[in-house]
Amino acid sequence: MARFAGGKAPFLRLSDEKGKNTNTIMRDFMIALLPVVLFSWYKNGIQVYIDGNINFFEMLYPLFLILMGGFLSVVMEGIFFYITDKKNRNLNDILRKLSTSYAAIPGVILALLLPVYTPIWVLMFATFIATIVGKMLFGGFGHNIFNPALLGYAIVGFTLSGFITDAGGVLNGSEILVDTYAGATPLGIFAQFRNTGEAFSFAALVEPYGNLWDFFIGTIPGALGETSALAILIGGVWLVARKIIKWYTPVIYVGTVFVISWIIGMIAGDAGLWFPTYSILSGGVMFAAVFMITEPVTTPTNSLGKIVFALFLGVLTVLFRFVGNLPEGVGTSLILMNIFAIPIDTYSGIIRTKGFKKPGLSFISVLAGIFLIIAAYTIIASVNMYTAFLPIINIWQVI
Amino acid sequence: MIFHKAKGIQIDGKKELCKKSPLVEYLNPDTVYIPLVRRSLKLEPQVKVGDLVKIGQVVAKFKTYASFITHASVSGEVKSIKKVWHSSGKMVDAIEIENDHKNTLDESIKERKNVNELTREELIDIMMDAGLTGLGGAGFPSYIKYQTKEKIDTVIINAVECEPYITCDYQFILKYPEKLLRGATYMMRAADADEVVIAYKAYNKKIEEELNQLSDQYPHVKLSPVKDIYPAGWEKYIVEQVTGKSYKSLPAEAGVIVNNSATAIVYADAVEKNIPLISRPISITGEGINDPKTFFAPIGTKVSELIEQCGGYVDGLDPMQANYIAGGPMTGRAIFIDDLVLDDTLGAVIIKPFVTWDYPECLGCGRCADVCPVYLTPTEIKKAFERKDVKLLGYLDANKCMQCGLCSYVCPSHVEISEAVGKGIDLLRKGAK
Repeated sequence: MARFAGGKAPFLRLSDEKGKNTNTIMRDFMIALLPVVLFSWYKNGIQVYIDGNINFFEMLYPLFLILMGGFLSVVMEGIFFYITDKKNRNLNDILRKLSTSYAAIPGVILALLLPVYTPIWVLMFATFIATIVGKMLFGGFGHNIFNPALLGYAIVGFTLSGFITDAGGVLNGSEILVDTYAGATPLGIFAQFRNTGEAFSFAALVEPYGNLWDFFIGTIPGALGETSALAILIGGVWLVARKIIKWYTPVIYVGTVFVISWIIGMIAGDAGLWFPTYSILSGGVMFAAVFMITEPVTTPTNSLGKIVFALFLGVLTVLFRFVGNLPEGVGTSLILMNIFAIPIDTYSGIIRTKGFKKPGLSFISVLAGIFLIIAAYTIIASVNMYTAFLPIINIWQVI
Repeated sequence: MIFHKAKGIQIDGKKELCKKSPLVEYLNPDTVYIPLVRRSLKLEPQVKVGDLVKIGQVVAKFKTYASFITHASVSGEVKSIKKVWHSSGKMVDAIEIENDHKNTLDESIKERKNVNELTREELIDIMMDAGLTGLGGAGFPSYIKYQTKEKIDTVIINAVECEPYITCDYQFILKYPEKLLRGATYMMRAADADEVVIAYKAYNKKIEEELNQLSDQYPHVKLSPVKDIYPAGWEKYIVEQVTGKSYKSLPAEAGVIVNNSATAIVYADAVEKNIPLISRPISITGEGINDPKTFFAPIGTKVSELIEQCGGYVDGLDPMQANYIAGGPMTGRAIFIDDLVLDDTLGAVIIKPFVTWDYPECLGCGRCADVCPVYLTPTEIKKAFERKDVKLLGYLDANKCMQCGLCSYVCPSHVEISEAVGKGIDLLRKGAK
């Protein structure tokens, strides 16, 4: 008689097979980031070097910055493990913990969100916020509420953006020489228009940077990773093909931004498709759609929740972009929605099994109400609709 | 009911392990240990130590239910009543009978002449007297299904066997295809139904061929191939696939009775020769077995004897790095000591080495929710259980779970999620009381 090991049913696990577990998922995320990393190195390093505007070492700087982001966050998590766990301090234990913590991914994503001339010490601070504050203090991988990379990016954006601008900012060595760029990203230009209340036009928003094709390829000024929709799409197709992400999450998010921007453009008097296209191709919309709202830990788990999340996020992005004060709406809206991922998860779980009945119904109707109000407010506020409505209101003698 | 697409997934069956060799009849073990338990109900022994028993003699029954009876599966002397390991994972009392190899039959076992004139009530009584329980694994007494007040249109014979590794139904059918059809016919008459449907996996072409050859004599029997997915053998799934109807708790609501194919074969013997449930098919398989085989063995046989017949464990098998699984790999139970006896619910014993690696945390990928056949959200149930939130568990319909184990199977982080859901169900039942 032999004594056998115990265990819980099921005794077959897909994850025990090679290449079907979380390690593979995270490896595939890294592979998906590869085209983005390479393009941003090409655009900010190699191309500028070929133009003769920087020297050889400056050419390597974008790649160095991105790799440094991954490296720093791994090192920081290692130190965190060393400090917090007194019993397991030898190298093997720490390496084992790091292997299931996947620290490099938020680091690389964080670096891709930052401008090309970010000083290393700013990156270091951002990585600290991202991995230690945003992830490890919440309990490590799988327990964080906020997307770590996004948290690091947001804190740096609120506090240290001046240092980045002083160090050279968002324009790379070649772009700084182009007069029409006026020292700003497309969304920066847009914010100026929005704040002064001038009507925007194709000539003012797109033409300084070429045409919309340039926006798609990514040869416009912007943060390291977010400019090229093409490279991001390649990564996205890879992730969908590997069944790591659901195709509809990015599509719904980008679609929502597209449709609401279109409506805003129409009301503002220009129904051309250029405006919504410009809206989704500028800033971090595409990058967030593929790499951040599909990040499994901080977004809802089930399919219904993912759809609700993407819809809501799209509305909030437009709201922050067209109504708020900051030029970029993606990061702020995503951080806000990260919190709501938890109730969305719970209630979509109830709705999945019970259907649109009590108790899920009340939640979903409140959510839908907020959704509609925000969407309407966004559209109205962004084009000063109340002036358009005033005559009608006068006729009805409401006021 | 939204975005419900998944209805189970395809799992690598590994059935070819056991399909190589045909069914082996192993009818004369030296000693049998007949467990005194049925569906966690304790049975009262009807024999004393030292009695001589015959094959088919009633040796134990439940006090109040006349139907929970167990028969001797070999003839010989009752040696003792002692504890043995049971497939429920506990030690239970069992009657030890030493086989005298004379195969004396009980007087009740004789050819029945008027098979074609039996009424519905008589057929159900035979089922009761034979102690017939579902041989699929649940061990539910079959006659209770037939005593329903509802009008039954269809009897479905479940030969799907969706769990990986197990092939006992498949090989039992190939051995006795005609008995299956006869048993199915009797079941149809016992239910007063109009037709009987045999559901099997579409890739099992051999079953189709065998049964098609005999289909001329049994025109009321229909064949219904189902897709190769897990859990295709689940009662609700089969009823939906075959009849298109759905029901809440019992298939009788939809006018359907579902029975396992092995039950039908045993029932054919019970009707024609009055042989009660004394033997059943069992697959001994898994990567840890030298020569996996399927046996037809008396209830109470020591599984270790059957494993010896298979050539024992493979060389270099580390028992502490292997599971000894009673039942299918998806829903079965790990047994610690390899000293199990065969009972009426045990369809397979699987010896399977496992690997361990550094399991990460749940990352919230949502695959468990995507594959759930009853559209639950396992991650949320797990969270609600960890917070001991009984109300939320009720909202999330945790008790709808049928413990198929798919959520744990697909989990890329090796989270024991179906175990957590099971604990959630327990908490919900306790809290609801």
